[in-house]
Amino acid sequence: MKLLSTALLVLLFSAKVFAADSTATGVIKISGKITNEENKPVSGANLVLEGTIDGATSDEKGMYEFETEKTGTYKLLVTAMDYTNHMQEINLAAGMNMTLDIKLKKSEVRTEEILVTASSFTSGENSKVTLTPLEIVRIPGANADLYRALTTFPGSNQVDEGSRITVRGGDPNEVVTILDLATLYNPFIFDNSYNTSSFSTVDPWSLKGINFTSGGFSAKYGNALSAVLDLKSYEIPTSTGMFAILGIGAGGLSGVYNHKGKFGGSFSVSQTYLKPFFDLNGISQDYSKIPTATGFGGTLAYKFGETGYMKVYGDYSGDKIGIRNTSPSYDGFFNSESHNYFGSYKMSFSPSSGSMFNAGASFSLYDRKSNYGILDTKSKDYYAKGRADLTVQVSDKTDINTGVEYEYLENHIEGIVPDNSYNLKLTAPSRSLDTTANSGRLGVYAETQMRLTDKFFAITGVRSDYHTLSKKISFDPRLSLGYQVSKYNVFRAAVGLYHQYPVPNDYLRALDNNLDAQEAIHYILGYEYNKEGDIVFRVEGYYKDYKNLVALDYNDFRYKSMGSGFAKGIDVFLKYKYENKFTGWISYAYSDSKRRQYDATTQTSSDYDITHNMSFTGSYNVTDAINVGLSYRISTGKPYTPVVSSLFDAAQNVYIPTYGEKNSDRFPTYTRADISVQYITSLMNRFCVMFVAFNNVFDTKNLYQYNYNYDYSQKIDVRSNNIRIVWFGIGLQI
Amino acid sequence: MKKTLLLVLLLITFGLNTILKADDDFTNAIVKAKTSLKTALDKYDEKEMIKARGQFERILQLKKNTWLVNYYLALCDYHIAVTAMESKDNEKIKKYTQSGLELIGKSLLDRDNFADTYVLKLSLDYNRFQYEMDKMQSIIADVTTDEENAKKYDPTNPRLYLVKGVATFYTPAAFGGGVDKAQPLLEKSVELFGLIKNSDVTLPDWGEETAYAYMALCMLDQDKLTEAKAFLDKGLAINPNSKMLTGYVKKEYDDKVK
Repeated sequence: MKLLSTALLVLLFSAKVFAADSTATGVIKISGKITNEENKPVSGANLVLEGTIDGATSDEKGMYEFETEKTGTYKLLVTAMDYTNHMQEINLAAGMNMTLDIKLKKSEVRTEEILVTASSFTSGENSKVTLTPLEIVRIPGANADLYRALTTFPGSNQVDEGSRITVRGGDPNEVVTILDLATLYNPFIFDNSYNTSSFSTVDPWSLKGINFTSGGFSAKYGNALSAVLDLKSYEIPTSTGMFAILGIGAGGLSGVYNHKGKFGGSFSVSQTYLKPFFDLNGISQDYSKIPTATGFGGTLAYKFGETGYMKVYGDYSGDKIGIRNTSPSYDGFFNSESHNYFGSYKMSFSPSSGSMFNAGASFSLYDRKSNYGILDTKSKDYYAKGRADLTVQVSDKTDINTGVEYEYLENHIEGIVPDNSYNLKLTAPSRSLDTTANSGRLGVYAETQMRLTDKFFAITGVRSDYHTLSKKISFDPRLSLGYQVSKYNVFRAAVGLYHQYPVPNDYLRALDNNLDAQEAIHYILGYEYNKEGDIVFRVEGYYKDYKNLVALDYNDFRYKSMGSGFAKGIDVFLKYKYENKFTGWISYAYSDSKRRQYDATTQTSSDYDITHNMSFTGSYNVTDAINVGLSYRISTGKPYTPVVSSLFDAAQNVYIPTYGEKNSDRFPTYTRADISVQYITSLMNRFCVMFVAFNNVFDTKNLYQYNYNYDYSQKIDVRSNNIRIVWFGIGLQI
Repeated sequence: MKKTLLLVLLLITFGLNTILKADDDFTNAIVKAKTSLKTALDKYDEKEMIKARGQFERILQLKKNTWLVNYYLALCDYHIAVTAMESKDNEKIKKYTQSGLELIGKSLLDRDNFADTYVLKLSLDYNRFQYEMDKMQSIIADVTTDEENAKKYDPTNPRLYLVKGVATFYTPAAFGGGVDKAQPLLEKSVELFGLIKNSDVTLPDWGEETAYAYMALCMLDQDKLTEAKAFLDKGLAINPNSKMLTGYVKKEYDDKVK
């Protein structure tokens, strides 16, 4: 009985505690107005007393009002989309009426989204993207190749109509490609093959973000004189599925897997089979073997903690080709075969709120053999890199980035090379070659990204690199500025010092490895109008001052850092997008690029000095299902060095060409038009895209190079193999 | 011994009271917020939807069943995004759809076996077609995964077939859509709604009248006026205040009858 009464007491006691929990002693009314920094009302803001459900939502005039019975000290939390959370302590006494006006601050757009530096073209998740991935893959003639798409931007040009690009009159090797943290050493197939366009091995669909910078780039990028293509892939695929593509010349299968957002992976395989493609298009060029290319790779990714990711990536690509080439001294097949292996590991996590740490390591092996006449070589390039970066957000307006990287490059070449490049006969004088050269580079950098005011940003950075082979140190201060005149109008400027060390093979021809890092100072000034990526107009002027370029000293036939040059020009870009119907852009670039480099004795036009280059690209959705694209390009012919006479060498029974001034002549004007049609439909209830493409529709006879007859008395046009072709295929979600 | 028993009883009773009170607070708050959202949807009033969203946001302070609260917040965001479609305000569609997907992500972190969460994710992923057609391939893969997950955790969820049916209804025939393909999905949805026995008032219960509304539209498309009227009436019996039924389907029906 006593126990029962005690239990009842307990129940009663609990009930009293329960009742007292609300500490209700009178209704309190809280009201006020929510505004932003411009004193404009903020509607839809949510107010709540922390730990309770007492609160309100502001109306279209920003007004709010709610009642509570809570007393004492409480935190009032105010949240609204596009604004930073606001929290303040308030003291509540029974029966009081409290008026509380609150000002919310616009949430800062993360600096990486707004601090688009001069000369940058972006794609991916950034709202100010220049081109979306779909726009990239739909560019007619680009064959869904990211690099070819980039050449529709001003300032960048194709090399031999392939994926290799040159930027603002620079050399192709002055452009560096970075995937996540790894440098892609040679992401191409059919690279440096005779009269064959190269293709890149980068899949644009796998990329979360693309940032192509043709000058004035950040201090975090080292050892690049002209441009950086910085690619970011998805940490973990967002979905699970497979996609197959079957075309007349190639096929591929790719897949992605996501397990609860924690673990994921992807794979892709591709294979070319060009015989039906060649037969359809009547391609009669002699081949000892039909070109073939194979590729496969994959990723595995794991998410740990709230912010951490780790990812491994592996990839292989290879190609084989045997193509006929008739040179003055030899008529036969140029055969080549390459195998490219790439692997990388990357991890990232936030050590604290507002900071991000990234680290990665990568390895590449580029294995290639080629022969033509007496020339018969095998080469292996090993490239490895480790890198770590830390970004710390020190305030809403300031980020600090810092990092360190080390890269190792080894070039090995062996085989037989002719003594004289003009005699490639099988009986020509030759020598055996078996050399290995390697170098390392240690780089560190630090930079600050600052929004000095709402309209003005500055990025100041500095980097330093130590080169193990030459034992030289370079030091690069860099500055980027941007001033946002209004929502859509921005002026940008950049100035900075850029260095790139010569390749290890160049040091073999230098005395005591005494070659400085090649140097360029970039000066850039530009204006951009960008209305949410739908209308973009950009005009930009630049000047690049080159020093310490590798050049041959004809006194002792050694390479020395005695070359120099400049590149100057204006880039203009106009893009227009009309709803989901039409997207088109026009690029124009004027460039003047001269340099003394390698065997040049004075400053002459650089190898890729294209004075005028204009392209038009348009894509129109005829219906929801049918898209038609057109692209047209016209540009000044690229420079070449003509043969002006020849001498007969009786000992070798061959003519020796005498060359005119380096790059003193030009190929004819280059023009090309491409058309593509895509039909999107459903097949077996699966997403399906059918496509047909017509490249070089007017069958313009663009030149690949000039050949000469045996005594160089006749100059023979070698037409580019990019003749008029049609190809088609189908892509199907599986 | 008696003292120990007393102490245990005290602790159990005190704890139980606290839990029951928290449960009551949560249930009441959710039911109230659900009612506000339903009223807002009936009126198709964006401002009311934002107010309902605020109610759910405040419920997060109770730190209870946050997976469910985040689900409802995402549901509000989905509907606000849908209202923005009328004005073709792509920026707003994107803002609320992305917000909804982020909230779904949070919900799934806490509970990943609730079919309705995947159904809502499916709806939000369909919204992405409005502003990121360039990611069509990826969106299609996402909606396929959403559908598979929803079926895996509840193959009898009527809202899955409703969402698929509505999407198919508006999808051009060239892409595998059309009224004829939508109808079987909507019929299935109606059938499954009839089998639901949901005793938990905090769980999602939306959509039944919408399934009838779209069935009526399917019938009108085939000029089956009697059947259309029957579906319209059934929908109105469930929710006489539905603006979709009273303001749109009924008007379509009346136009056909004339």
